[in-house]
Amino acid sequence: MTKRAYLGIDIGSLTVKVILIDEQGRVIGRALAVAGYGGQQAAKDLVAAVLSDAGLARSAVAGSVVTGYGRVTFGEADREVSEISCHARGASFLIPATRTVIDVGGQDSKVIRIDQRGRVVDFAMNDKCAAGTGRFLEVMANALGLAVEELGRVALVSAHPLTISNTCTVFAESEAVSHLARGAAREDVASGLIQAVSSRVLGLAARVGLRPQVVFTGGVALNEGMLTELRRQSGLEILVPPDPQMVGALGAALFARQFSAGGS
Amino acid sequence: MRSAKELQRLMQWHYASIRLPRLGRPLAWVTSGAPVELLRAAGVVAVYPENYGALCGAQHQAVALCQKAESEGYSPDLCSYARTSLGSVIAPESAPLGGLPRPDLLIACNNICSTVVKWYETLSDRFQVPLFVLDLPFIHDRLTPAMTAYAVTQLRDLVTFLERECRRKVSGAKLGEAVRQANETVRLWTEIHELCQAHPSPLNVPDLFVNMAPIVVLRGTASATRFYRHLRDEVAERVREGVGAIAEERYRLLWDNIAIWHHLYRLFNYFAEQGACFVVDTYTTAWSAEIPRGDLLESLAEAYAGVYLNRSLEFRARRMIDMIQAYDVSGFVMHGNRSCKPYSLGQVETRRLVTEMTGAPGLLIEADMCDSRAFAPEPIRTRIQAFIETLESSGREMRGEAQGERR
Repeated sequence: MTKRAYLGIDIGSLTVKVILIDEQGRVIGRALAVAGYGGQQAAKDLVAAVLSDAGLARSAVAGSVVTGYGRVTFGEADREVSEISCHARGASFLIPATRTVIDVGGQDSKVIRIDQRGRVVDFAMNDKCAAGTGRFLEVMANALGLAVEELGRVALVSAHPLTISNTCTVFAESEAVSHLARGAAREDVASGLIQAVSSRVLGLAARVGLRPQVVFTGGVALNEGMLTELRRQSGLEILVPPDPQMVGALGAALFARQFSAGGS
Repeated sequence: MRSAKELQRLMQWHYASIRLPRLGRPLAWVTSGAPVELLRAAGVVAVYPENYGALCGAQHQAVALCQKAESEGYSPDLCSYARTSLGSVIAPESAPLGGLPRPDLLIACNNICSTVVKWYETLSDRFQVPLFVLDLPFIHDRLTPAMTAYAVTQLRDLVTFLERECRRKVSGAKLGEAVRQANETVRLWTEIHELCQAHPSPLNVPDLFVNMAPIVVLRGTASATRFYRHLRDEVAERVREGVGAIAEERYRLLWDNIAIWHHLYRLFNYFAEQGACFVVDTYTTAWSAEIPRGDLLESLAEAYAGVYLNRSLEFRARRMIDMIQAYDVSGFVMHGNRSCKPYSLGQVETRRLVTEMTGAPGLLIEADMCDSRAFAPEPIRTRIQAFIETLESSGREMRGEAQGERR
């Protein structure tokens, strides 16, 4: 019997993620790359690479779903589903007790409340502003002369976090720079930035309500400083699934499997 | 719709007629919540800068006019109707219809917002014409006798102002006739709304937005009443024949706030493609309140202080909940309108209240009624798609359970 596989493609603003699952929902291939211009070509290349690594022909793919920022223009998937539904589906598949998903990606941060069956009940997303997103942290890490993955770790050692009052990425950058110019310690500025982003994300969460189990996904979930700060400010246990950047793509692959089984 | 031509002729006639010689009748620029019946009784010709703003927004001319106002120092945070209006005064040569004809009088009523007070003060300063500000108290819970008494003194002052400026008396008989005519228009408008309780709904909210112009601008005139009678008949016919506003009505939704004029059809067509029809809204129904019988000034006070935007969040949530039940609505979309602070502040809270009470999910999208620079199509599309998926998954679950029972 030929093996049937399902593709989930998540074209984000900064990265493209592709996941291949089998009939049982087991991940049989995954890949991630920088989106580049529009992300379309990167997505096509990743799909080809994932299939070739898994030793499968394109004909073995019984269904595919695309999600993320670039989903509307990507013509090579069967269906498109919003990233909100995909993150909810992926997170509740990995952690069935999930009731709230906090996803912080490159340009979007979103909070999704889901019911016991993994269905979206309510959601909130940041609007027309990159503060509180991965892009904000990238810009700030750059201003502090750090790699983005170091930012959270450096912030953890701060004893006297500074207050960053600006909620705009561009102005917050000049605020951080002027703190440094006045001789502030780098870890204190980093910690102030992490606190500012966390409180912004939790402000968004307040719109839909934070119900346990809270699950943190997206590239920013890899940032230890953010996770620690979100836990501290919310007073809640927050779980991060393995491979948090791939949750949206996994959700898309699970939708592909469901649609191909005849579900609408 | 058949009545579309009549609507077009009516509004073209309105905007042409205000430029004709008026034989001594003054022309007033008035806010949408002003008691126009008093003006009609005094023989004043009323024009509405807010309606003109909507027209500029729909014609994609508003941003250029807003920029004219901004270049003179008006803040981009100011209401886009105000900026469009001021832009058309600053640069009439680049404004649709060459701007509105110069006013003789200005009448602003603060029952819809406080911005109108400053906006009209600026107009008064620019045109050097008299301004009357009608101050109506905000209703936190209910209209008390003291509030009514105060509102009546305000209306008396307006009558005195109009009589002085028009050099004629405002008679009780004329005012009574103006109120009667206005109520006739309002009753027809209400009937048209109620016909949308039918499944499928004969109208979608963009139809209501387009057809609301005469209820705002020509309320209480014979031509508006005639138009709404024809529209009512046409809508009733659609209901009798089971004709829906959209191809396939799968979801019945409620809209909250002013239209996004610059993306009116694009936005609602995107919903319609997915089977979502807006069967009711909080904006066009704001002109559905009749002026009660009784003492004329007290009745006007009650009607105009009681407008939707002059009421508490609890009142607005209650109104939405009632509409959701009466119109069999399964979800609602709120336009967080950057321009309209009194309409938009508190939406996060009303959204929560309404969902708690009805179970209907609500989507909040951030935009602006006229300023398309505050509208990001792709992020909004994502939110709408996710919202429809949410409605779909809950609907599918209902069908799934029904199938399970059959097996």
